[in-house]
Amino acid sequence: MWSYTLRRILAAIPTMLVVITVCYLLLHATPGGPFDGERKVSAAVLANLQAKYHLDLPLWQQYLLYLKSLLQGDLGASFRYADWSVNDLVANALPVSLVIGGGSLLLSLVIGVTLGIVAALRQNSAEDYLVMLLGNVGSAVPSFVMGPVLIIVFAIVLKWLPAGGWNDFELRFMILPMALLTFINVSTIGRVMRGSLIEVMHSNFIRTARAKGLPTRVVVLRHALKPALLPVVSLVGPLAISSITSALVTETVFSLPGLGKLIVNGAGNRDYTLVLGLVVLITVLTVTLNLLVDLAYAWLDPKIRY
Amino acid sequence: MLTPKELSGLVATLADPHAIAGDSLAPGRSLWSDARRRFTRNKAAVFSLALLILVSLACVVGPWLLPHAFDSADWDAMNLPPTWKNAHFWGTDDAGRDLLVRSLIGGRISLTVGLLATLASVSMGILWGATAGFLGGKVDAVMMRIVDMMYAIPYLLIAILLVTILGREFYLVVLTITVFSWMDMARVVRGQTLSLRSMEYVEAARAIGVSTPRIIFSHIVPNLLGVVVIYTTVTVPGVILTESVLSFLGLGIQEPMTSWGVLIQDGAKVMEVSPWILLFPAGLLSVTLYCFNFIGDGLRDALDPKER
Amino acid sequence: MNLAFKQTLCGVAIATALVMASQAATIPPGTQLHPTQTLIRNNGSEPETLDPALAESVGANNLTRDLFEGLTANDSNGKTVPGVAESWKQLDATTWVFKLRKNAKWSNGDAVTADDFVFAIRRFVDPKTASTYASTFGIFLLNGAEVVKGSKPSADIGVKALDKQTLEVKTAFPVSFLPELMSNNNLGPVHKASLEKFGKDWTKPGNLVSNGAYVLKEWQVNNRIVIEKNPQYWDGANVQLTKVTYLPIEDGHADVKLYESGENEWVYQLPPGTYEKYKVQYPKEIRNAPMIGLRYYSYQTQDPAFKDVRVRKALSMVIDRDILAQRVTADGQAPAYSVVVKGTRGADVTPYEWAGWPMDKRVAEAKNLLQQAGVKPGTKFVFSYNTSEYHKKMAVFAASEWKTKLGLTIETESMEFKVLLKKRHDGAFQMARNGWVADYNDATTFLALVRCDSDQNNNFNCNRPAEALITQGSQSNDPAKRHALLTQASKMIMDDYPIIPLLEYSLPRLVKSYVGGYSLENAQDRFRSKDLYIIKH
Repeated sequence: MWSYTLRRILAAIPTMLVVITVCYLLLHATPGGPFDGERKVSAAVLANLQAKYHLDLPLWQQYLLYLKSLLQGDLGASFRYADWSVNDLVANALPVSLVIGGGSLLLSLVIGVTLGIVAALRQNSAEDYLVMLLGNVGSAVPSFVMGPVLIIVFAIVLKWLPAGGWNDFELRFMILPMALLTFINVSTIGRVMRGSLIEVMHSNFIRTARAKGLPTRVVVLRHALKPALLPVVSLVGPLAISSITSALVTETVFSLPGLGKLIVNGAGNRDYTLVLGLVVLITVLTVTLNLLVDLAYAWLDPKIRY
Repeated sequence: MLTPKELSGLVATLADPHAIAGDSLAPGRSLWSDARRRFTRNKAAVFSLALLILVSLACVVGPWLLPHAFDSADWDAMNLPPTWKNAHFWGTDDAGRDLLVRSLIGGRISLTVGLLATLASVSMGILWGATAGFLGGKVDAVMMRIVDMMYAIPYLLIAILLVTILGREFYLVVLTITVFSWMDMARVVRGQTLSLRSMEYVEAARAIGVSTPRIIFSHIVPNLLGVVVIYTTVTVPGVILTESVLSFLGLGIQEPMTSWGVLIQDGAKVMEVSPWILLFPAGLLSVTLYCFNFIGDGLRDALDPKER
Repeated sequence: MNLAFKQTLCGVAIATALVMASQAATIPPGTQLHPTQTLIRNNGSEPETLDPALAESVGANNLTRDLFEGLTANDSNGKTVPGVAESWKQLDATTWVFKLRKNAKWSNGDAVTADDFVFAIRRFVDPKTASTYASTFGIFLLNGAEVVKGSKPSADIGVKALDKQTLEVKTAFPVSFLPELMSNNNLGPVHKASLEKFGKDWTKPGNLVSNGAYVLKEWQVNNRIVIEKNPQYWDGANVQLTKVTYLPIEDGHADVKLYESGENEWVYQLPPGTYEKYKVQYPKEIRNAPMIGLRYYSYQTQDPAFKDVRVRKALSMVIDRDILAQRVTADGQAPAYSVVVKGTRGADVTPYEWAGWPMDKRVAEAKNLLQQAGVKPGTKFVFSYNTSEYHKKMAVFAASEWKTKLGLTIETESMEFKVLLKKRHDGAFQMARNGWVADYNDATTFLALVRCDSDQNNNFNCNRPAEALITQGSQSNDPAKRHALLTQASKMIMDDYPIIPLLEYSLPRLVKSYVGGYSLENAQDRFRSKDLYIIKH
């Protein structure tokens, strides 16, 4: 397993390279540049801006320069946030997104798996439908509707929580955004868990366990849960990535200084270095999470061998 | 020693599953009727199916029956709440256009885009994931790394680029959404396949010498159906909502045409002032998505090969 | 007495009057102040920089206005008041002398001298600094145009330190509003020693040395910027607010929600369609004042579809700007029928003669014009705009006007902002949404939108005779003559119908009723935190 892990980590390097190259080309191919603004700049100023950021060099040269500074750990300077380096911007936004996205995913796992188990064990009963009805609110109501509703109810009418903002991991700013993300992820996890557990409960080894006279609780928790979790675990990687890096609606609605905003604004502003820096980060996160998930497969299903 | 008559009788008996299985196979029962029976046992699923058909019919036929056109602006009738006057049953939006008609027209777009994009991304995802999971080894590694790469590339960039290079046709919206949506299915399918390929019957098939594509199609894919069906109905809402994000960016449905995503996004902005602009399309969307969810769960239950 | 001398006397008199006026207190007598003088306000976006030479956006300028102070400044009513300079006089048509006050200090105790201004202005116009505003303001100074283009070194720019407390500014041509121009922080001082010591990081909290009423305390990107009262500021006695927090929220709805839940005291701008509601819900907190800015649509005048002026005139005539202002946008904006908007100095607003006609007459005339130009009903035109709630509303209205009144087929295409910009710059459009907010209060800022060879002209139009008039007016020493020439030129250009002027900007927002010092006369929406205070509540 360790050699597998090592192989995966090594494979991450070409992955990273390919992703950076593709994004680099995409960025430069997209119409509009970082210095296009309402106010058209004079030719001399534009020439100087481009020289300052090496944009006047041929593409391949810029690419190599970027790779070189990347190897030194320097993600470059942002165009849009001119006073900040990309390293600083990413370092400031990452913890916020990790806590909100990662935290809500953990919550969703706990709640979603529980809901899925309850629904599966009471298949086709009223409880099943009710649990699924509640659990699926998150997938039927878009986040840009649920978010403002949460704010109106809890921040404006009840005045229990702030309507947004962020203050150094103070709990009251984290509750509503995490609630929103949890709502959304719970429905996916719950449904997949329900379906998967129902399938597993019908398999032979479960029937055997039951025939042995084991109580349902033991049967489910000790025998059925692990294999049933497999499809759920498959989702954890992508769900985690999207909760951490693509939570744009949550960040906009709750005014959070996270990664989603940075990447969307970066793309919109053609902030090449910022976008590439974030892409590097997302690749690292993706590779790591997917590796962890794949390792978890082996733990959940002993028949899976790498 | 058997007489020819006894021999033919024996062969006939051996060839007849009913004769061998005896009572455990009820007469005239096929797999599909089994599935249909299990599905109909799930009341929520049946109800949802009916509701979904109703909504789809409304979207297709409704606009022809209603007096207003979806794009006729009426600056004297802006932001009207639902009213019998002028037959604005669901009220009007901020340009005086009838909300009911726009919701139904929007439904046409959303449902079509949703179904097409889901179909495309699910097919791609299943093929990719099953192949990777089954073949394992280097092929699996390369294919899954490609999936990783697709996750890492920001979809916004691809969306903007696709629009500006290719144009804004309807099928491009479907294409763009598909490009971002097939990876989840691929990963889920690959996970299941990894687990399935080590099952005894697969090993047995291999031992006999059944060809790999045959194994994938005949043994792996049917057993994936449950998870696939669930995940498909998880994909549909995602696809419909992705479409609204694309419209927000300027790719996809252009004014005056609309979709549920666009209507809801506009409605969310004025929900405190004119709540009906949000509630009606959002209600329609939610109902539809719930229907997909329950139908999905019902289908999964129905198609479960292990269920009795 | 010749004219020049009269003007000099005039200038001296004005300067003196201003010196006297500036010492007046900003707080009405009898007002009780709140013990805690802090304010949280939304700035509308994350600033691109805090370097005053490079600041471009409204948000960045709001901050540099609090952190730095130029020769002059704007008070809450938009009037030019002394800043670092306590007085100034105009020596001749193109020469001004500013006398700096002796007690002006940087936040680290250093004195602010004329050399700081010379260094900063040279840096500002230097092409190597690559400031996007260099040409906008630079062209007014002697040799500015050449320095910005790169044909002359930055040391040639027309500013000179006569001594530590005296700055001489030479302009390229007579600029009667030069004192007002110098209130822009792009032309203000920077602390040379910190720049050299900290390099790129000089704008970070702890490093930033400022000469304005505030110092930079905290800067969390996309979260908040906090500034605190500068103990070294020369007018500290008159500064009430001890701490101001700037929020960078772009989404208008999130902005208002924060206001309603108490985390925000000053909304940047109300989202579209909400003005009427909040006017009723918060009558004491709603503010709305016109701002000198223009919403307009550009014609690609070189496109075959729009080569004929009759077509351009017809499409402009039939848009009902009253409905647009009162019902569609419904946030207090006024219809505009000219490129210069009301409240701008330097030229008259010259609306079209048909602006007062009843709509039926306008439509009939427009149909007539189209017929003459050979444009049949059903002809397709394409309108491009960038994705935004606001622009969409207006586009839907305009398209419906052209469709129902003239029977034309209008295809509206929305796109991302940068993509629209590229289309506009490349001329790859037929009609495009456009807008402009004045950089300084003079008609030339708007005329730049429609002048020949102007960087801001997206319409590819050029009227040489009018251009000659503008040049003549700019060189003139006589403000009245200049005013007349610019007005005449403006009318001439607009009769070519290069653009469709639609609305004059306004700024609808919510500001807590206990925030004192907010004025509705601030035509450029330039507030200094030093002019604000918190009333007891």
